[in-house]
Amino acid sequence: MNVVVCVKQIPDPAAPQALDPETRTLIRQGKLILDDSDAYGVEMGLQLANQAGGDVVTLVSMAPNGETSGLRTALAMGADKAILVSDDALRGSDALSTAKVLAKAIERAEPDLIIAATESTDGYTGTFPVQLAELLGLPSITFAKKVTVGDGTVVVDRQTEAGYDEVECPLPALVTVTAGVVEPRYPSFKGIMAAKSKPLEQLTVADLGLDASQVGAAGSRQEVTDVSAADERKAGEIVQDEGDGYEYVVRFLEQLKLI
Amino acid sequence: MDFRETEEQQMLRQAVDSIAAKYGHSYFTEKARSGGRTDELWDELAASGFLGVNVPEEYGGGGMGISELAIVLEQLGTNGCPLLLLVVSPAICATIIARFGSDEQKQLWLPRFATAELKMAFAITEPDAGSNSHNITTTATRDGDVYRLRGTKYFISFADESESVLVVTRSGVDESTGRGKLSLFVVDLDSPGLEKTLIPVEIVAPENQFTLFFDDVEVPADRLLGTEGDGLRQVFMGLNPERIMTAAMANGIGRYSLDKASTYARERSVWGTPIGRHQGISHPLAKAKIEVELARLMTQKAAWSYDAGLDAGEAANFAKFAAAEAALGALDQAIQTHGGNGMSSEFGLADMWGLTRLMRTAPVSREMILNFVGQHSLQLPKSY
Ligand SMILES: Cc1cc2nc3c(=O)[nH]c(=O)nc-3n(C[C@H](O)[C@H](O)[C@H](O)COP(=O)(O)OP(=O)(O)OC[C@H]3O[C@@H](n4cnc5c(N)ncnc54)[C@H](O)[C@@H]3O)c2cc1C
Ligand SMILES: Cc1cc2nc3c(=O)[nH]c(=O)nc-3n(C[C@H](O)[C@H](O)[C@H](O)COP(=O)(O)OP(=O)(O)OC[C@H]3O[C@@H](n4cnc5c(N)ncnc54)[C@H](O)[C@@H]3O)c2cc1C
Repeated sequence: MNVVVCVKQIPDPAAPQALDPETRTLIRQGKLILDDSDAYGVEMGLQLANQAGGDVVTLVSMAPNGETSGLRTALAMGADKAILVSDDALRGSDALSTAKVLAKAIERAEPDLIIAATESTDGYTGTFPVQLAELLGLPSITFAKKVTVGDGTVVVDRQTEAGYDEVECPLPALVTVTAGVVEPRYPSFKGIMAAKSKPLEQLTVADLGLDASQVGAAGSRQEVTDVSAADERKAGEIVQDEGDGYEYVVRFLEQLKLI
Repeated sequence: MDFRETEEQQMLRQAVDSIAAKYGHSYFTEKARSGGRTDELWDELAASGFLGVNVPEEYGGGGMGISELAIVLEQLGTNGCPLLLLVVSPAICATIIARFGSDEQKQLWLPRFATAELKMAFAITEPDAGSNSHNITTTATRDGDVYRLRGTKYFISFADESESVLVVTRSGVDESTGRGKLSLFVVDLDSPGLEKTLIPVEIVAPENQFTLFFDDVEVPADRLLGTEGDGLRQVFMGLNPERIMTAAMANGIGRYSLDKASTYARERSVWGTPIGRHQGISHPLAKAKIEVELARLMTQKAAWSYDAGLDAGEAANFAKFAAAEAALGALDQAIQTHGGNGMSSEFGLADMWGLTRLMRTAPVSREMILNFVGQHSLQLPKSY
């Protein structure tokens, strides 16, 4: 089985971030790291693939400046190889044009199963994976909280507001996983040392047979027209508990229609 | 010249950081205060191979060097979990054994250093010899198939949780200099005739220190490391890694302190402005930051020199001295920045004092380093 895991490399969320004043998108000049959201996908892929039995886990990423740090981390966790698409022409890509590019890259890995996160940490539109599935003509199952692969099928417990649905669909298919679906492993020292010698293919837009006018800012249908600061968080309400604190809690939850 | 760490080293830092962050300083102090051991943390690091990074690959280790082991310890320190054991077991003991052990000895011990299942203490310090290792009086006398060890060692860390201890003994006298000839032995800590008593110390750390009494302890001859009488040279092989690792631990504590202090100084507001805006707070922290970063640079150089097979003695001593002083300065200023909270248990600073202060004294004191630098780097006459 060929498992493809989509891996987004993002600016470290712990570091201060800035927006490009012209394009109003995130500046991604410094080192990028493996999006935590994708660590779950990588772990899921590693657990589902029987690598000893010949199954292959391929990582696919699109990122600026030939960035590979996040991919190396995922390779150190145990993935077999990686494909990176990096090209100046991709600057300004929205989710759909990202999906168009990665669809081409992913086709090359002849996937049986594609795994992505439900949404990325930095862009979090949550639209890329389903667009990708549509472009590849594959069924997609989102919000997976449990995934098992059977004979030519994938069975997923799909998180819903009320609980979960059990969904089964034939492979090849795309599945998006939620955080917490599995516990991502830490790369071991042997994994870290092995990561460097694993195959990492770097592709340009031309390599994928795409035209520069179809991708990047040129191919994007979305444009960020305005950005404004988020509202300051309001000070919380402090309640003195004089034995009746629970009443406040109940009233508060009722207000939010949580109970 | 390239000052950047390799991609592997950066990933190692990141991975250790993720593990250590799960435990954090409260775990460390909780274990220390309850007399518990940090087995969960140790085992998790061991399972990923991080405690055997410097053990040769042919014995199942990571095949890298002290640079990598120092990264592991620094990141533990950064997360408030500075495990002293790393300075000794993998850094001193595994290094000496990998270098001077026989094939059988390496087969016996190195695979278990690689998995960190084996913990080995190191005993050189004696009540009467002090910093003068030539005056060691713990003796090893050959008696047929065994050696008999007699004498006392003190301040031996984790003699309770280790399986064995690498002991520096005197096994004869050099006729030409009159100095003791040293020999190294690996002695099981449950050997008959070996007694240990706890030395209470004012250090909040999970490791304990002991006085070890060797009363005619029988040690099989195959526990002698390398050549009899060649112990001084062998010990020196392990002492540079020990210094580099001590420096790495101090650097971790320095960064831990600065991180806490700068976070607090950004958030704490007393006169309607964050205290970090007062230069009385920001300048000492900036100075401490510079000192910690300089110490890290020298530590990196020392580790690199050692791993490259170059003479690392001078850099290792510079690094250990600088790192201990920088860590103390950073911790002291972090405590000051926290006002009264600096002394509260909750903020996890004052409890670090004992361990950080220790590094000015051990494993080699500030004065002995200055002696070394005076004599070797500046060619000044020896005073003792
Ligand atoms: C107008 C516009 C311009 C933009 N310009 C730029 C730009 O110049 N440079 C730039 O870097 N970004 C730019 N972005 C953001 C970037 O295009 C989006 O982050 C990207 O399209 C994916 O969207 P998302 O992060 O919301 O993905 P989501 O749909 O939230 O992602 C879900 C999951 O899909 C997978 N995935 C998503 N993106 C990737 C990827 N790139 N590689 C591998 N897997 C992935 C991951 O598993 C991810 O967790 C721009 C966005 C817009 C709208
Ligand atoms: C918590 C802890 C853990 C330890 N763990 C271990 C361990 O695991 N294994 C081990 O073998 N040892 C261990 N030690 C011992 C430690 O390495 C020694 O305490 C240290 O090397 C100093 O030696 P000393 O105590 O004999 O001091 P002394 O040699 O008695 O020195 C006393 C003072 O005199 C100064 N001094 C001595 N000679 C000179 C000189 N020529 N010029 C100028 N000043 C001088 C010293 O710098 C020091 O300030 C540990 C100590 C502690 C406190």
